[in-house]
Amino acid sequence: MVDVSQHELVPEHTVLDEEVLEGVLSEYDIDRTDLPKIKRTDPALPDEAEIGDVIKIVRNSRTTDQAVVYRLVVD
Amino acid sequence: MMRNSTPKDIGSINFGLMEPEEYREMSATKIITADTYDDDGFPIDMGLMDPRLGVIDPGLECKTCGKHSGSCNGHFGHIELAAPVIHVGFTKLIRRLLRGTCRECSKLLLTEDEREEFRGDIDRSRKLGRDLNDVTKAAIRQARKKDRCPFCGEVQYDIEHEKPTTYYEVQQVLTSEYSQRIAGAMQGDEEEGIERTTPDELAAKTDIDLTRINEILSGSFRPRESQRKAIEKALNIDLTDEDTNKLMPSDIRDWFENIPDEDIEVLGIDAERSRPEWMILTVLPVPPVTARPSITLDNGQRSEDDLTHKLVDIIRINQRFMENREAGAPQLIIEDLWELLQYHVTTFMDNEISGTPPARHRSGRPLKTLSQRLKGKEGRFRGSLSGKRVNFSARTVISPDPTLSLNEVGVPDRVATEMTQTMNVTERNVTEARRFVSNGPEGHPGANYVRRPDGRRLKVTEKNCEELAEKVDPGWEVNRHLIDGDIVIFNRQPSLHRMSIMAHEVVVMPYKTFRLNTVVCPPYNADFDGDEMNMHALQNEEARAEARVLMRVQEQILSPRFGGNIIGAIQDHISGTYLLTHENPRFNETQALDLLRATRIDELPDPSGIDDEGEPFWTGQDVFSELLPDDLNLEFVGTLGDTVVIEDGQLVEGTIAEDEVGAFDGEIVDTITKVYGNTRARIFINEVSTLAMRTIMHFGFSIGIDDETVPDEAEARIQETIDDAYDQVQELIEAYERNELESLPGRTIDETVEMKIMQTLGRVRENAGDIAEEHFDDDNPAVVMAESGARGGLLNLTQMAGCVGQQAVRGERINRGYEDRTLSHYKPNDLSAEAHGFVENSYTSGLSPREFFFHAMGGREGLVDTAVRTSKSGYLQRRLINALSELEAQYDGTVRDTSDTIVQFEFGEDGTSPVMVSSGDENDIDVDHIADRVLDSEFESAEEREEFLGTKRRPTNLSEHADSRRVSDAPEVTSDD
Repeated sequence: MVDVSQHELVPEHTVLDEEVLEGVLSEYDIDRTDLPKIKRTDPALPDEAEIGDVIKIVRNSRTTDQAVVYRLVVD
Repeated sequence: MMRNSTPKDIGSINFGLMEPEEYREMSATKIITADTYDDDGFPIDMGLMDPRLGVIDPGLECKTCGKHSGSCNGHFGHIELAAPVIHVGFTKLIRRLLRGTCRECSKLLLTEDEREEFRGDIDRSRKLGRDLNDVTKAAIRQARKKDRCPFCGEVQYDIEHEKPTTYYEVQQVLTSEYSQRIAGAMQGDEEEGIERTTPDELAAKTDIDLTRINEILSGSFRPRESQRKAIEKALNIDLTDEDTNKLMPSDIRDWFENIPDEDIEVLGIDAERSRPEWMILTVLPVPPVTARPSITLDNGQRSEDDLTHKLVDIIRINQRFMENREAGAPQLIIEDLWELLQYHVTTFMDNEISGTPPARHRSGRPLKTLSQRLKGKEGRFRGSLSGKRVNFSARTVISPDPTLSLNEVGVPDRVATEMTQTMNVTERNVTEARRFVSNGPEGHPGANYVRRPDGRRLKVTEKNCEELAEKVDPGWEVNRHLIDGDIVIFNRQPSLHRMSIMAHEVVVMPYKTFRLNTVVCPPYNADFDGDEMNMHALQNEEARAEARVLMRVQEQILSPRFGGNIIGAIQDHISGTYLLTHENPRFNETQALDLLRATRIDELPDPSGIDDEGEPFWTGQDVFSELLPDDLNLEFVGTLGDTVVIEDGQLVEGTIAEDEVGAFDGEIVDTITKVYGNTRARIFINEVSTLAMRTIMHFGFSIGIDDETVPDEAEARIQETIDDAYDQVQELIEAYERNELESLPGRTIDETVEMKIMQTLGRVRENAGDIAEEHFDDDNPAVVMAESGARGGLLNLTQMAGCVGQQAVRGERINRGYEDRTLSHYKPNDLSAEAHGFVENSYTSGLSPREFFFHAMGGREGLVDTAVRTSKSGYLQRRLINALSELEAQYDGTVRDTSDTIVQFEFGEDGTSPVMVSSGDENDIDVDHIADRVLDSEFESAEEREEFLGTKRRPTNLSEHADSRRVSDAPEVTSDD
């Protein structure tokens, strides 16, 4: 099987630490359920990601070098 | 009334079921008679038109609230139903609850552990904003699996739902023919190799006494359930029949009444607000008469609303039901009446239920009942709430007026005298206001109404206008006519993008059409073949200010669709600038001034040169350059593939055509908008279009048949290429028939020959076009239009002068019509060009009848295609808009929906507006360097700078129109605002 997470077009997905997450949530003044979602079964997720974790995705962007997106892992 | 009520904030809305007692409490009266009016035309008490239900006739007083028609909203009544009936809107939920709860003790068939799990699931779903239905469905599925109630141990049966409102309990019971079935199975079947079974063997297999077996076989003993199962297993047969037991609404109601509150909470139902038994109606609310007004026809007869008709039916059946029951009618009749009552109540709420014949009017038209009033395009939501007909709007045909600015709209005087703007009279405008009033409603800058400080509205008439004008004082309001400079909103449907609705300034004009500058046709996608447009007059200062700042045409020059300008020169404007600059013609002073007369330029620059006769002249490029900003520098590859060079606002080289000044990404317009601002761009576009019109009038521009006719010699050459191609096609056909043709990879031989013929014939048109083109001069109007990009292309020219070419349907040569041939003129299986829609004539030479027919076939496909495309894309657009309508860009830069869920962390992932960005690679902006330079010049010490940078705020999108968009050299600009 092909591991899509290694593909060059799949951006970097990392599990966010709890303290960093606190900062992100307070920055946007939201609960973690207000974040966009990502399925637990998504092949781009790192193996250690579990339901309830927040994933940080860093994409390369033509206009703003890097675009950062956070997503909540759901089932 | 509206003026005095304060707007209120809605804190929250709760949806739930209504308790029968609540219906009775809010009811103004119980309804018992199906009649509406008595012989004298008065409403009958406790009838469907009871005066306590509200008033519709003007002048009467409401018996409940004392208000008059218009201010009384009406009051509900109620009907006491003789027997409970099921509410059609809840049939699915009723089915679910029947399946998920115990038939004996009504408890939810889930153990405490399972309940805990589903409660957790519901909480999670709520938080994530998911559909709760998925969880409850899963809970019911789990509960249905139970054969016995975990609490009382009662056996549970399957519930069958017969749409729309009947429920059955399905029990598996022993069939009455059990003895025959057993005997039959014991016979065995030789063909299928099933052996005979003797009663002894059966007794041994099933562990049942032999005498019992014999009793069973004789039919004198009914086997018990365990015995039945043993026999079924031994003989591999089914001894059961389904027995259905109908659940009456009253049974269901009793069942639901016993469901404990905490059990339905597991299913996400709030028992406080919605008890399940309330889904079975015992009381029917009767809508107020204001919701079902009766109309008096011309002949004095009253015609009742569909809802009233339906209510009459319900009351009649209800009464019959009661009478029959009291008279002790047989159960069968009662059940029939019950079903009829159910049918009427069902169709009262929804008359489009599948499987139920719709209730009809006497004329055969289906009744429009409650659900039909709400549903669909003309329903309450889409038809009356989201889309309303509004006041202060006008609609008429549009026509062009190139003398207007692109910001303006010509408004017919009769529209201007009908639509008004509210003027709050103060000390400063009181004389003005009096002048409007004294002009009356007919004279143009007049007034139609005034409002006195006490709130009384007076109509201004020809008779009282002079008198009224003297009374007008500060504190009054005057509804004055539209005058030049007022801002209005202008719209053309379909409103597909934001430029379909823009704000214009009024110019009052004679005649009956709205006039607009031709350069605003592209954003509206308008033409003047009978298009109509809508205008809306704005009614408060806030709206007018917003429209002026955000919606004015000049603010919309750049389209967010592609980041370029959508407003610019079109059609003849482009031909005009092309004629002006292409061969750089010379103009004498009078001519040059004439070209520029509609612009701000009233003094010519130094002449471009002196001609042989000693007269000074100005070149087209120099005339054009007068319109450019003085310090504009540009260099790019233009429409004709040449380089366009602008140095210090002077066109040095190149032709001005579509890619330079056209709508849809005209480089010069785009640059001016982005660098010099919208106002400068507006001036430029206005002036380019008037200059172009003057130019085209100077040179004259027309097109006729002779402009597309080629000399005989060229015609002969075209014929020659066509004949050549025919020969090649013939060769291909012959090779195909001799089976010598080699097929292309992945194609059959048939496909290959088709493709090769198509290619050959495709080349013919190209060659014919090339030949025709050689014979056209550069000043041929069709060539000018094609080259400049004003209208049409080389293909149109080719088809007019050379050869129309192959006609196609579905991307293939025309193959339809008769069996093996397209028309009866050809032999069957004729593969020739002629027989499959090749048109060798040109539009000028004229098509032969057969060619014409094939051409019509191809043309038809195009028409059908566009019709299908517009309807498909319209629906797609509607769905997309509905899906995205609640997304909003927030002040912190995120995009969120109404529940504050984040959709994008930064608008578009980069926080930039497409119209504020220049996407070209060549003009890379070094933001850091510019920022440093500004900071260095602004702050003397490093500390000051540090202090400033430390307090930097997050960027907001509060104002998209930063000062940088203003025109820097203000005095140069004479605004037409």
